[in-house]
Amino acid sequence: MKDFRELETEIKKASDKFTNIESINEFRIKFLGKKGIISLEMKELASLSGDERKQHAEKLNKIKDSVLEIIASKTEELNSKELEKKLNSETLDITLSTSKSYGTIHPISQVIEEVITIFGDLDFFVAEGPEVETDYNNFTALNTSEHHPARQMHDTFYVETETDGMPNVLRTHTSPVQIRSMLKQKPPIRLIAPGKTFRCDNDQTHSPMFHQVEGLVIDQESNMSHLKGCLEIFLKTFFETDKLNMRFRPSHFPFTEPSAEVDIGYTKKGNQLIIGEGEDWLEILGCGMVHPNVLENVNINSNEYQGYAFGMGIERLAMLKYGISDLRTFFDSDLRWNKHYGFSPLNIPSIIGDLS
Amino acid sequence: MKFSYSWLTEHLKTNVHFEEIEKKLTSIGLEVEDIQDTGKAYQDFIVGQVLEEKKHPNADKLKLCKVDIGKEKVDVVCGAPNVEKGMKVVYAPVGSTIPVNQMKIKAAKIRGVESYGMMCSEYELGISNEHDGIIRLEEKETIGRPFSEIYGLNDIVIEIGITPNRQDCLGVKGIARDLASAGMGELLERKISKEKGSFKSPIKIEIQDNKICSAFAGRYFRNVKNTESPEWLKNKLKSIGLRPISALVDITNFVMYDENRPLHVYDADKINGKIIVRAANDGESFQALDEKDYHLKNGMCVIADEKKVLGLGGIMGGESTGCSTETKNVLLESALFDEINTAKTGRNLSILSDARYRFERGIDPNSTLKGIDLATQLILEICGGECSEVELAGNIKENKNEVSTSSSYISRRLGFEVSDKELISILSSLGIETSQTGDVIKCSIPSWRQDIHGEADISEEVIRIKGYENIPTSNIRLKSKINKNILNYAQKKLMKARHFIASIEYDELVTFSFTDSKNCEVFGDINNLKIVNPISEELDILRPNLLPNLLQAIKKNKNRNFDSFSIFEIGSQYRSTFPEDQLNVACGIKSGIKTEKSWKNMQTEFDIYDVKQDLTSLIDYLMPGNKKISVSNDCPSWYHPGRSGSIKINNSVIAGYFGELHPSVANQFKIKNKTNIFELYLDELPNTEKKTTNKPVLNLSDFQIVTRDFAFVIDKKVKSEEVVTSAFKVDKELIRNVEIFDLFEDDSLGKDKKSIAIKVTLQSNEKTLAENDISEISSKIIESVEKSTSGTVRS
Repeated sequence: MKDFRELETEIKKASDKFTNIESINEFRIKFLGKKGIISLEMKELASLSGDERKQHAEKLNKIKDSVLEIIASKTEELNSKELEKKLNSETLDITLSTSKSYGTIHPISQVIEEVITIFGDLDFFVAEGPEVETDYNNFTALNTSEHHPARQMHDTFYVETETDGMPNVLRTHTSPVQIRSMLKQKPPIRLIAPGKTFRCDNDQTHSPMFHQVEGLVIDQESNMSHLKGCLEIFLKTFFETDKLNMRFRPSHFPFTEPSAEVDIGYTKKGNQLIIGEGEDWLEILGCGMVHPNVLENVNINSNEYQGYAFGMGIERLAMLKYGISDLRTFFDSDLRWNKHYGFSPLNIPSIIGDLS
Repeated sequence: MKFSYSWLTEHLKTNVHFEEIEKKLTSIGLEVEDIQDTGKAYQDFIVGQVLEEKKHPNADKLKLCKVDIGKEKVDVVCGAPNVEKGMKVVYAPVGSTIPVNQMKIKAAKIRGVESYGMMCSEYELGISNEHDGIIRLEEKETIGRPFSEIYGLNDIVIEIGITPNRQDCLGVKGIARDLASAGMGELLERKISKEKGSFKSPIKIEIQDNKICSAFAGRYFRNVKNTESPEWLKNKLKSIGLRPISALVDITNFVMYDENRPLHVYDADKINGKIIVRAANDGESFQALDEKDYHLKNGMCVIADEKKVLGLGGIMGGESTGCSTETKNVLLESALFDEINTAKTGRNLSILSDARYRFERGIDPNSTLKGIDLATQLILEICGGECSEVELAGNIKENKNEVSTSSSYISRRLGFEVSDKELISILSSLGIETSQTGDVIKCSIPSWRQDIHGEADISEEVIRIKGYENIPTSNIRLKSKINKNILNYAQKKLMKARHFIASIEYDELVTFSFTDSKNCEVFGDINNLKIVNPISEELDILRPNLLPNLLQAIKKNKNRNFDSFSIFEIGSQYRSTFPEDQLNVACGIKSGIKTEKSWKNMQTEFDIYDVKQDLTSLIDYLMPGNKKISVSNDCPSWYHPGRSGSIKINNSVIAGYFGELHPSVANQFKIKNKTNIFELYLDELPNTEKKTTNKPVLNLSDFQIVTRDFAFVIDKKVKSEEVVTSAFKVDKELIRNVEIFDLFEDDSLGKDKKSIAIKVTLQSNEKTLAENDISEISSKIIESVEKSTSGTVRS
């Protein structure tokens, strides 16, 4: 019976010399190739008979398996050495960088979206109206007759077109949206109307264009205490504080009765305004119960329906919440300002996530 | 409205602390805007007497004085030329602050001599400009007496904001009345003697138009002396910032601020015949007390005599009958002018006056004769003379408003229970008389409250006096929703567009809705966009387009060293100044450097393909799903004609434009870089609000994907899009994508030719494509493209 010990020694010897993938390949060819030693031995099995063939075959298959195993393990070993070498040579300076930038959302848009989010959660829908308004919608329908002294406080911009014999105006407040909406929809009504407003005034604290948001609730029961409740939720949510000193005091708007102005408490720490706490008061909005004459002007029975309205300045809300000190910078288009005070387009105000 | 605390207490008997009154004023709607405690500023200054006065040893112009200040005698070095022995002076002790320059007095050596305190001039005390010498007080003044008492400065001056409805609080008495209603004390009635008059007024009064003036009371005074007013009157007017003029004028001002009753005095000797109250005629003019000439219009209310216009009723008197120190005989006027007419006239002539301010807000008719009585008493007391009987033309109608209400109405409006008893008690504190029948409470509104017309007004009075802080807070959350949508489709579109555009690097700007007409000729007809009263010449029209303001912004920021611009605005532009002619537009600009030169990249600049991509992906975002976007060359005049395109969606109206700004417009704004812009008319986008929440069915093929490249030589004039669409239409099922991957222009192709290379992606839903399937479709593609572009395939 043939002894394969010599073959095994040769295999052992050859397998110690592997330096690269090629030498493994040579090794494979030498033993397992078509004319390889093991292959030739295999062929010879045919000439043997009976038990001898069986024993030789068994032995040879074992040797063949061991060769295959050597090839697999040595290949693996060499590959990982190769990879390690490659990785060691492949380094990049990770302190270098390229940039990807987003644009910014203007604080006015941000605050309007925050306001919509808060009131949306309270079931207010967003109404709108044009920036050029009729004198009737801007004043008369709002219980402000042609010679009402309140008109003079409005510094109205006039344009050359007319409606019903009266010059059209750039709306001085968002309140005409109340009129447009009530003519379209019967109570119950819950709406807010953010938008641009205009007054012929231009100095340190006035801009000829600014933004307001109007609120209107008309149904059969809404009263002063609901108004207070509504504004309390809004202001607390908007300023993201649980503490909020709020003061209602009498005021006058021709389209509400009783009318109130609302102040919120604040303190100053250094240059920072802390909203909600403190002894000092900041005027933040005007509001009141809708005047029965306004309801009658839009054909709503003022004996059956009542409700409240409020209006506030978007810029003022933005200035107080985000510490912007100068009203006029909003419209100055100074890109340094926009990039500093602007908001990421990805943070859309949300009730479940962040408001700001 | 300004008033002093001491003046207030002439009408209000109170033992409430001032701070509480201050709070109450705001809480009843008389908002305190400013408080000046003048007493505090002058509290340290007292009366002193100079006992000795000798020359300073080391300075010619200085004097050494010994001053008696009551509790001690102090040495004071003084430089005033008028200081002399025995003189009573105003002494500022060590530690006090000089009002005019806020200098704190310290004990100091002046040229080697100790000095304790200072003797003051009126200038130093901030009282007048008199600084030639120190104040010489009257001999009789007591040493040690606070100086502020002598000049009437020991007072608090309060300034409150009066809302247009509270005409009753434009006089100190009205403020006191409201405070008394709110429990701050008791209203005092001024004792006014009612002179009957010893003769009939020689000047008769005739009202020709009782719509513009319902009543005119006149009283004639003879042999008066229009002197300087006494100290008390002068100090009173000065304390609220009015300049004393002469006794007669000061008296009318006093009555106006005290009783909210405007009066006027005429020099009676300058009146020709009788007084006629009438409407002016076009072309009449007169010189008012402000020394300006006014040209009057039909219908304005004038006070005239038989020859000329003497004054504008309720607004301003005339120069010709003004009172001077020589005036001997006067006519005192107390009238009721129409609110609207006064407002109209005042606005028309741009005259602001205290009288106009009051008449256009409404005057208590009952003050007409009271005002005459109070002024008469003061004129006789200060100016002497004799008065006539009162001559009254017209009717003083009391116009008492009657309002019916109920406690249930008030409770329903305010949100808490108000009982009949409480309601009646609050109303009576306001001087509103009530009578109750069943639930109905009938209110009789006093004549001074011209603003109370209805039940709603009563509800405000109740809560004003009860205090707004007593309104409870109620929950407003609803059990079921009343609105289907918070934002409608158009509003959502605007908000989505804003966030999308900002996410592709644009910064959002908000610019004025106005712009400069000079920059806007290129944007079409601007004549119908004019603002009648613009804030400035540069903001004289409503913007016909968002671009001018954005271009202006680029120009400004270039000066701030920016060289890369990605800015946008979403807002309205206007077709005319009719309310309905407003459009929602998104406008973006990319200009200047796109990528900075860096270790990785070459510097590149923005071009029209950047804004085209931004615009089309914006449309894709706003209108997901199938649509056909087509591009053509017809752009408005502010675009570069060869480098711009308009975008149509589904072959309907034009929804937007993109392209390079026309060089001449760029030049107008001094912008040198290529400026690439897009405009999207948001209102024009077809409504694609989803009707179902389901997404379209997804069909996936697992068969092999094959790609084939083709290149075609075509005329430069032919749009490359044509290559893509003509390839696509060969087989809509098999051809999954067609993309241009190369554009090549070279003279070797021919002068007017270009080569466009496309990659076509093929995949079947049924089988793996065999070579002959592929070559079949390839030749069809070549045929189709060659046919529709008149080009040839490159091999």
